[in-house]
Amino acid sequence: MIKVEQISKSFKNTQILHDISFEIKKGDFIAVMGPSGSGKSTLLYSISGMDSLSSGKVLFEEINISEMKEEDLSGFRLNKMGFVFQNAQMLKNLSIFDNITLPGLVAKKESADDIRKRASGLMKRMEIEGIEERDIREVSGGQLQRASICRAMINNPEILFLDEPTGALNSGATDQVLSILEDLNREGMTIMTVTHDPRVAAKAKKVLYIRDGQIAACKEFSVGADRESELNEWLKGFQLTA
Amino acid sequence: MNLLLNLVRRDFKRNRAITTALAVFLILSTLLMAGGLRVAGTMLSSLNGLNELAVPPQYLQMHKGAYDEKVFESFVKDHDYIKDSLIVKMLNINNANIVYQGETLEKCLMDNGFVIQNEGFDLLLNMDNEIAVVQDGEIGVPVYYVEELGIQVGDVITLHQGDYRKELTVSTIIRDAQMNAALASSKRFLISQSDLDEISSYMGEWEYSFEFLLEEDTSTAVLEKDYMDGGMPSNGVGVTGSLLAMLNNLSYGLVAFIIIAISILLIMIAVLCLSYIIRATMAEENYTIGEMKAIGFPGKAIEKLYQMKYRLLVLTAGVIGYVAAIPFGDFFSSSVVMYCGYGNEVWMKWVLPFIGVVLLSLIVMSGCRRIIRKNLKSTVVELMRGEEKIKKEGHYSLPSTGLKYRNLSIALGELKCKWKEYTLIFLVFAFSSFLILLPMNMKNTVENPSFITYMGVGESDIRIDIQYSEKLSEQRDTAISYLEKDSQIEKYSIYRNGYVQLQNEAGEWEYIRVQNGDESVFPLEYLEGSAPDDSNEMALSYLNASELGKEVGDSLRVTYLGEELLFTISGIYQDITYGGKTAKAAIDFDENDVEVYIIYLDVRDGVNIAEKTQELRNILTDSKITPISEFVSQTLGGITDNMSLVEGAAIAISLLLIILITVMILQLITAREHSAIAVKKAIGFSNRDIRIQFGIRILMIQFVAILMGTLLANSLGEAVFGWMLSSMGASKITMLVEPFTAYMLYPTAQLLVVFITVIVGSKVVRNYHIRDQIRE
Repeated sequence: MIKVEQISKSFKNTQILHDISFEIKKGDFIAVMGPSGSGKSTLLYSISGMDSLSSGKVLFEEINISEMKEEDLSGFRLNKMGFVFQNAQMLKNLSIFDNITLPGLVAKKESADDIRKRASGLMKRMEIEGIEERDIREVSGGQLQRASICRAMINNPEILFLDEPTGALNSGATDQVLSILEDLNREGMTIMTVTHDPRVAAKAKKVLYIRDGQIAACKEFSVGADRESELNEWLKGFQLTA
Repeated sequence: MNLLLNLVRRDFKRNRAITTALAVFLILSTLLMAGGLRVAGTMLSSLNGLNELAVPPQYLQMHKGAYDEKVFESFVKDHDYIKDSLIVKMLNINNANIVYQGETLEKCLMDNGFVIQNEGFDLLLNMDNEIAVVQDGEIGVPVYYVEELGIQVGDVITLHQGDYRKELTVSTIIRDAQMNAALASSKRFLISQSDLDEISSYMGEWEYSFEFLLEEDTSTAVLEKDYMDGGMPSNGVGVTGSLLAMLNNLSYGLVAFIIIAISILLIMIAVLCLSYIIRATMAEENYTIGEMKAIGFPGKAIEKLYQMKYRLLVLTAGVIGYVAAIPFGDFFSSSVVMYCGYGNEVWMKWVLPFIGVVLLSLIVMSGCRRIIRKNLKSTVVELMRGEEKIKKEGHYSLPSTGLKYRNLSIALGELKCKWKEYTLIFLVFAFSSFLILLPMNMKNTVENPSFITYMGVGESDIRIDIQYSEKLSEQRDTAISYLEKDSQIEKYSIYRNGYVQLQNEAGEWEYIRVQNGDESVFPLEYLEGSAPDDSNEMALSYLNASELGKEVGDSLRVTYLGEELLFTISGIYQDITYGGKTAKAAIDFDENDVEVYIIYLDVRDGVNIAEKTQELRNILTDSKITPISEFVSQTLGGITDNMSLVEGAAIAISLLLIILITVMILQLITAREHSAIAVKKAIGFSNRDIRIQFGIRILMIQFVAILMGTLLANSLGEAVFGWMLSSMGASKITMLVEPFTAYMLYPTAQLLVVFITVIVGSKVVRNYHIRDQIRE
């Protein structure tokens, strides 16, 4: 689905990503791990077209999005990608419900009524009904993060990008979010997430370990394995912890 | 110190756009403050200087006809409070008999008199403010004509009457403390005694001015009363020094006043903007201040650091503003300098602006210190978390029908929630629009022929003055017989002007100019009441009514030819001619007492006024014929020209101001909304979408502000203009608006300027990325 070919990214003489290549297949669940400042988030934003590349290219279903104009790229993101951020970034002048429906109304793929029905369905599924009209500061972190997953899902994207989705959540809320991600992936949603948390990475099918802007190692879990212990062992092998 | 400078330098680099805009704002404020005060300083020095050197009379009484010089001398001797006196003999010559560069001065409205240099006081000065001296065959020309006709030293002025011709070479330009101003309806030419004697034997009509200087603390009212009681020559108007000063002050002061008023308004806006910007930029600095406090930087040092930045800015702006104010102020005071010279207190134009700049700097500095100290009071945690910034702005709802116009819907929704942030820019836009429209509307009003209604007559096309002759009635009959036959004349009306004496509030008798004629032909809009209906009614000009304390329905006692007449005040009208003091009544003036016959006429549709004027000039050679539009503009003289300058400056400054404020607000708002911008980009809005949303918000605010500014200019502006002209005699002015320029051209220009500024200024949106919101 997505081919990342030799991408590099530098900023003010500092090389952040260095010659990275890999592929994301439909239905994949990839976790990107690595120490702080290793370039994990930069990799995510570079692949999703939110950040420009210094060299290399990203092919999304054979379309080179690295060469797209900003205008076209934003439309592409709107229709094909969903994003979830660490701090559940939302627009503070809109209610939770309007924040969720906004990308749908902008994309205009469905009627306004259908979008609202879809948003309600997503909220029900994420178990956050009843907070529709609330201010984003009036709900818990877990509720807000689930609402931001609803927003990311509103246009039925082909891939979901998540940047530390549980970084600001307590363990209860983390479990809720992880369970949702697992369900979504099981239903066929392609997911790529950046995380420090081995519990999150353990839900993925594949883990990329980034160090100094390069993929230092890649781990694919075997079917039926105890992923969390396997991952911790693997990380120990690097003499590193997340 | 070096550390502080380094930090400041780094801060400048980091906030280049906002610091530059702030600096320009400060420069503009100091420029206006210093410029306005330089104009005021120059004006004060010039007017005082001219008055000190030329010594204009404190009271003068005009007179036509015979008088006894000995009686006058004994009157002066008998009254101790008279310090000095003069009889100025002025030979009035019809403009049609004065030729400059092959053309007569017929087009000029001014009455022109020829005099010799006075002794003692009321001196005519040359352009070096020295007593002007002319030899035989030479002439000194009023500075008014340098401006109006471009007369220069070395030019020749020819006087002719029948076969008589007299050529006079312009040897000097004259500054006349008494009649300099365009608002004074007469001008004096200086010639030698022998030339005056020669010319008077061929042409002209003598008019005399009995002039007085009084001992200190003597009121002119005392002199006026004694003069009238003594039966002294008084067939003409009496003028006090204060009226002369008022005419001068109005001529030069009006423009200076407008500049200073605009400057004060702009400085208020600038100070408002500065305090907002300093507060906003300081709020952006909270995290850094918190960090400094956290590592133990003493509060005083932090205060010093930020003060240093603003001190440097204020100092730089102060120096640049002060220096730039020199050409700016000199440009706007060039008129008063030309008419009055520099005066003796030249220091004022240097010191006043300096004091102004220092004061402005102190205001800005103390504002900065207050804001910085307030910020320093917050705890480290409050500063670093930016807790004070968390304010609930409220929600807007997305339309239930979907987002047909997504950027418009979102921009309007956000505007609904964040309107308070736009209060300042709204005020600046509204004031700018007001500033552009006010001088423009003033100029339009003054330049419009209908302004004649503030000159005591109804609207008409052409004015004929029959003034210079022993046989006024003969000339009048000739004019009427011609007008009767001319099919191109739609209507006309003839008015006789003469003087009667009346008793003022203090019980003193004074002369007032009364016009007698059919008031229904060119009806005038009265402030109160109506035109006199019968011979027992009299209408008073606004200034006369105010000074006499009379209202409609009151009675007024006047004397004419020794006979006491009782009138009822029928109405009060506006009139800025003759110092604003006139009256209208059906007084049957003796032919010999008529000072002037004035005929107003309207031509039929399609008749060219300029051509008709020329035709009448060829036929009625002894009369002064002026199109009304010309009459208005000449009466107001340089005022309209200066207003054009002010209008240009107001437009330039206002546009610069709206560009600056747009740039700064965009910088501050985009910085404040960096998170929302990043989120929007992440969920699929393009940079263009976000820039359009900012553009809609700002242009929407500007649109409403322009409406507000226009309303203000039409209401408050009208009141301000009325107040300014009330001292001249017109208190209730209806502002005339040129709709295309006022409602289309300038609003569009303002919107366009802001639109372009938004296009350029909102490019910063590109710099905000979602990745900046997350600390890895």
